[in-house]
Amino acid sequence: MPVRAILVLLSVLICGALVYAAAGGTADKSAGKAAARSADSSANTIWSALVLATNVSTPKRPPAELQACAPRLQRVFGYNQFEIIGSASNELGDRAESWLVPSESFWFGLKARRAVSKEARGGYLLSLQLFQNKRPLLETEVKLAPGSPLFIRGPQYGKGQLIIVLQVQP
Amino acid sequence: MKPFEEQSTAWVDGKLTGKELAEFEKQLAERPEAAAEKDEALRLGNFLRAHPTAPNLGNGDFFNHQIMQRIAAETPRPAENKRAAFWSLPRLALAGAFCLATALALYKTTIPTDAPSSEEPKYFAQVVEAWPADPSISATTVYDPADNVTVVWLDGLDYIPATYALK
Repeated sequence: MPVRAILVLLSVLICGALVYAAAGGTADKSAGKAAARSADSSANTIWSALVLATNVSTPKRPPAELQACAPRLQRVFGYNQFEIIGSASNELGDRAESWLVPSESFWFGLKARRAVSKEARGGYLLSLQLFQNKRPLLETEVKLAPGSPLFIRGPQYGKGQLIIVLQVQP
Repeated sequence: MKPFEEQSTAWVDGKLTGKELAEFEKQLAERPEAAAEKDEALRLGNFLRAHPTAPNLGNGDFFNHQIMQRIAAETPRPAENKRAAFWSLPRLALAGAFCLATALALYKTTIPTDAPSSEEPKYFAQVVEAWPADPSISATTVYDPADNVTVVWLDGLDYIPATYALK
């Protein structure tokens, strides 16, 4: 085999090794920065709202808090008007237990800890207990990334539907 | 007029006659060694005629092998030369440039940068477990990937009349 061919192969190998090393270093750096960012954003809050969904001939504009998700709610639940009956927000501390009371009728017992999964992007693993007045309805564990709301379809109310929204604020 | 060598060959073979022979013999007078050359040529001719076949070789295969080796050694090898010429300096430089370009392209396309992404963050809301507190209640998780919506769908809850004042 000619010496020049060996030289070319060697240069290709060296280039590959350099790219691999650079990729590894940059990825580690990015992961480190992401972890640092995640650790820095320790003051997340959780927001919850009790929403009444109805079908009316002239629907009102959705409230500002629901504007981003109103079209999705409309498609999923089939109602054209969404009103917030009550809302509340709490600061999320790691492993702290708290109450989240968007309305007197529907409220949560809440325990939060940081989710370690990559998809959660620094979000939380929440242990929730949903109450209607004093009656427990549901116990659940959910993982929520910041800015990704979870909806709980509650009972029928009159001709409408009660929906409970839960979202970690970014 | 024929050249001297041609006339000499014809003279040795006894084919020169008449005027040509006379003229050639005049020229021979200036060359005293010509008679000896004629005798030598005649002797060689007689010898060759007496021994018309090639002498027997004691080791014919070895002789053939040596001949073939010499032919192979003295014949130029165009294919090998072509292969050796493939990695000429310009091609080497081109290959290097190509490697560099490939490395840069890989660097740009595969390595994440610190620049903030213009894409919206991905939706992620996952229900790990859900336990209804009452057997009359059922909880189903619905995820719609098209709309990026996760809903815990509770069935079996009591209807609330519109007259009930929600606070």
